[in-house]
Amino acid sequence: MDGRDGLRMAIRSLRGHRLRSALTVVGIVIGIAAVVTFVTFGASLKADVVGQIDSSTANNIYLISAPSGDEGFPESPQPVFTENDISEIDEIQGTERVVPQGTLRTSALTFGNDTVARQQMTVTTPAAFEGVDFLEGRGFGQGTNEIVVNGQARNVFDRRLAVNDTVTVQRRSNETIETTVVGVVNRTASQLPFQTFAGQPRFYLPTEPHYDGVVESPNLGVNQRAYPQVTVVADPSDLTDTKTRIETYLNASDAQQLKPATYEISARTGGDIADSLEDLIDRLTRFVTGLAVISLVVGAVGIANIMLVSVTERTREIGIMKAVGARNRDVLLIFLAESAILGAVGSVLAIPLGVAGGWVATSYADIALTLVPFWFGVAVLVGVAVGVLAGLYPAWRAAKVDPIDALRRE
Amino acid sequence: MFLDSLHTCVSQITETDSKTVVSLDGVTKTYELGGTVEALTDFSLELTEGSYTAVMGPSGSGKSTLLNLIGGLDTPTEGTVTVNGSDLTELSEDERAGVRGSEVGFVFQTFNLMPRLTAVENVALPLSFAGVPRQKRRERAKSLLADVGLADRSDHRPAELSGGQRQRVAIARALAPEPAILLADEPTGNIDTETGDRVMEILGELNDAGNTILLVTHERRIAEHAESIVHVRDGALESEEVV
Repeated sequence: MDGRDGLRMAIRSLRGHRLRSALTVVGIVIGIAAVVTFVTFGASLKADVVGQIDSSTANNIYLISAPSGDEGFPESPQPVFTENDISEIDEIQGTERVVPQGTLRTSALTFGNDTVARQQMTVTTPAAFEGVDFLEGRGFGQGTNEIVVNGQARNVFDRRLAVNDTVTVQRRSNETIETTVVGVVNRTASQLPFQTFAGQPRFYLPTEPHYDGVVESPNLGVNQRAYPQVTVVADPSDLTDTKTRIETYLNASDAQQLKPATYEISARTGGDIADSLEDLIDRLTRFVTGLAVISLVVGAVGIANIMLVSVTERTREIGIMKAVGARNRDVLLIFLAESAILGAVGSVLAIPLGVAGGWVATSYADIALTLVPFWFGVAVLVGVAVGVLAGLYPAWRAAKVDPIDALRRE
Repeated sequence: MFLDSLHTCVSQITETDSKTVVSLDGVTKTYELGGTVEALTDFSLELTEGSYTAVMGPSGSGKSTLLNLIGGLDTPTEGTVTVNGSDLTELSEDERAGVRGSEVGFVFQTFNLMPRLTAVENVALPLSFAGVPRQKRRERAKSLLADVGLADRSDHRPAELSGGQRQRVAIARALAPEPAILLADEPTGNIDTETGDRVMEILGELNDAGNTILLVTHERRIAEHAESIVHVRDGALESEEVV
């Protein structure tokens, strides 16, 4: 007997039990559809994040001090990069400019009659606005009370902020600063690679005179400002080598000596950060998909169960087939074909359902749907494999049926 | 004594005339059923080509065991069973399946048709296991169904056929591989007398056409369709008579 005959026999007996076959298929459909849904959602999320990476940040190298092994951005970065480090890094071949960034702890901002609570503002240098398109106005100068805001920050007060408006900043120390808005930007040169990070209101003040994070530079022995984060804008043609040179310098930097023992100083490009975020999404997707696989296992158990019932019910038929010349492997083939068909039909039906699930999930999360046809192929193969695996034991039982006992049955 | 000498005589005639198709030589079959049960004891039998033999005996006499051994469904505890030249005791399980498919045609009391296959598919079933191409086996199955008078029923399922029709499908199936021996186990046991007669008529015609038949029955009236009757009791050959 050849494979096609086996398939034909298998289809015949599956059609003989339409409802039962359909219900068994449902188990596989749910399992595979769940997997397809999560894989699709994961792929869509990843594509969305990658799409949001601002290409202009690709040449940025971010210097961060973070607890060892921490892959994201630390919750409490330590101010370890001194003015000395910044000017040394600025001298390194391949760096175009170095933008330090720190935070100013505040309690409230007042514009006109409206006061809003605000925990912190960003302090940075005018280099942060080099090569940046302003929506309005210009960058601030060092040693001034000028303030730059982003598009979102314009709308935090009941009246819309414009250039030349005055905003009163109340610092945590209760000291107040009268600042003048000089520019509105959508991004800065030290912007992190994801626009989503720019989705919140931001206020920028010059480091001079507002930043007061001061430490003693171990290399120079004098008190200097130190910043928790530094962005190096590098020459795109020499990015990797520049990063290596910066890393070499960092080993002897003030930051290296100032950082807490459990922290690590690292230099990461926009691409590195994008990669680690993608990696994070991949791991999340795998985890959730793993959960979905559990329902696939339940579906497989359903197939195994129904195939065992089928073998018991059709013992007499197996006996007949053996009496007219069926070898053990012929019987095995017929039953394996049945369970493989259940798995294959289930997975084929599951793909549109899984895609629909992915569409619902992505609509809900407000991201674009990305389909990965490769995974559809994998899903069908997995469905067939699950069917065959689940059918192995029942088919083996069928093949082992003693024809004499089987024919004696009523 | 008379019977014995007659038996010897018949054997001699047949031995000189035609070849032996089935031969059982000193066959003993025991089962372990909470103790050893001997179904057949030192049983010997020869069937020559074109013969028509009936086996009679009460239930539990070993008739079914005899049929299972000749049909290659079972193997003897001792002795040899030879069908058309192959010693079944020497064969592997798969090889015995091959013999069942090509050398033996079973006709059962309860028909044993595949319920979800049509008449023509049932008849073609042994050929599919023997690897005959689909088109060829369909043609052969159709012509066999026509031979048993069921040409117009070939696409019906067993449930849509009467008992007599089912048994005729079963006979056609048994003939499909052109077997060396046709084994009929109470072929009329589940059908009324009239259709039973029709079935016996077909078997007679098949024998006239040269088919070797072994018929198991407990009805003397049915057994008398055969050329000779073998009486089995308590797993041994009791007597053999010529009809």
